[in-house]
Amino acid sequence: MLSNISHYLNRFKSSLQIDQTIRDGVAEELYTHLEEKTQELEEKGLSKEEASKIAVQSLGSPELIAQQIYETHAQGSWKEALFSASPHLLVALLFTSYYWQNIIYVSIIVGLTIGIAIYGWQRGKPVWLFPWLGYYLMPVVITGILLISLPRSWGWIAALIYIPLALFVFIHIVRQTARRDWLYASLMLAPILVTFSWFSSLGTGNEFLMDNMWWASLQANALWIVISFIALAGATIAFIRLKPRRYKIISLLIPPLAISFSIIATSRGSIHPWGWLILFFSLFAFATPVWMQARAQG
Amino acid sequence: MNYGRELLKGNTDSLLLYLISRQPTYGYQIVKELEKRSNGYFQFKEGTLYPALHRLERDNLITGKWQILPSGQQRRYYYITAKGQQVLASRLATWQDFSSAVKSVIQAETT
Repeated sequence: MLSNISHYLNRFKSSLQIDQTIRDGVAEELYTHLEEKTQELEEKGLSKEEASKIAVQSLGSPELIAQQIYETHAQGSWKEALFSASPHLLVALLFTSYYWQNIIYVSIIVGLTIGIAIYGWQRGKPVWLFPWLGYYLMPVVITGILLISLPRSWGWIAALIYIPLALFVFIHIVRQTARRDWLYASLMLAPILVTFSWFSSLGTGNEFLMDNMWWASLQANALWIVISFIALAGATIAFIRLKPRRYKIISLLIPPLAISFSIIATSRGSIHPWGWLILFFSLFAFATPVWMQARAQG
Repeated sequence: MNYGRELLKGNTDSLLLYLISRQPTYGYQIVKELEKRSNGYFQFKEGTLYPALHRLERDNLITGKWQILPSGQQRRYYYITAKGQQVLASRLATWQDFSSAVKSVIQAETT
């Protein structure tokens, strides 16, 4: 049977979705507090059971402490919020003034994204890393899609070698991110959902990159693409700055889903079966972490 | 709404900063010291102290360090930072001005 103190600390830990190091540190502080109080009460003549029960009661609700600790650590600074939103703003910038057609601008932005994502990953995964990481993962998925589009024999190579490898890398990064906090995995995957919604709705199938219609459609929708990524940047800033977890979930879930469904709704049925597959994959990847979070809380 | 509780809530950070400025200390000792110095006036759920300490640490007003005692027990001691000293000095001055002003108003009314 669990002691009063262990039961209390388990309740505290399961209520606090935060960096494991911070959570374990606070739990250790509460543990030493409870041990000292219990010891003091035992010296006054109480039994260990009674003493630990009173010690636990005097600390108050573990869920309330967890919520207050979460709110202390969950709110990022304005600097972090702006840096987290920067990759979305850079993509928006690419689609203004047709920078996306200039290979030098595109290369600078891709290089910057990869560099920042690797730097953040090695520096303890700060919160601003995750949106950058989403763009870092995108070439992994896009290469897989391009390989599937190749002639049949190449497609098999893609299916047998590249896709399992890419899925392994993808799942590994998502799991590592979700271990810190499920919501960060969705924060990371939000740009993938929005990008693939555009990707699928503009193309008509395998030939999308070779087809002039696809490029023309991209050009025609440049303004809406810019608006959708600016909206994503706004949602990211709200996610970083808001304190209560439920507001964070709302700011994280609703804007990307609304953007994605709006893109699909205005595509006028031009999405190819491959496009739907990509869309379902990105929607599934985006929504799974939040579903896991809801399941953990339930 | 309990007025005393609201006053305590609004001044918790200053009280904690003051106690930590006297000497490096840890959670349980802070609770006992507050109770002792206020003759039992300040009573609160002890767990609410830790979010307050972490908030002060996040704002770089204090810093926490784990220490291992000769008994093998671990404690997290909190130290005031230079920024914390400045903030505390400013808050104490404000509090003293406020307190004198309130006293003057009340005394003028009663005399």
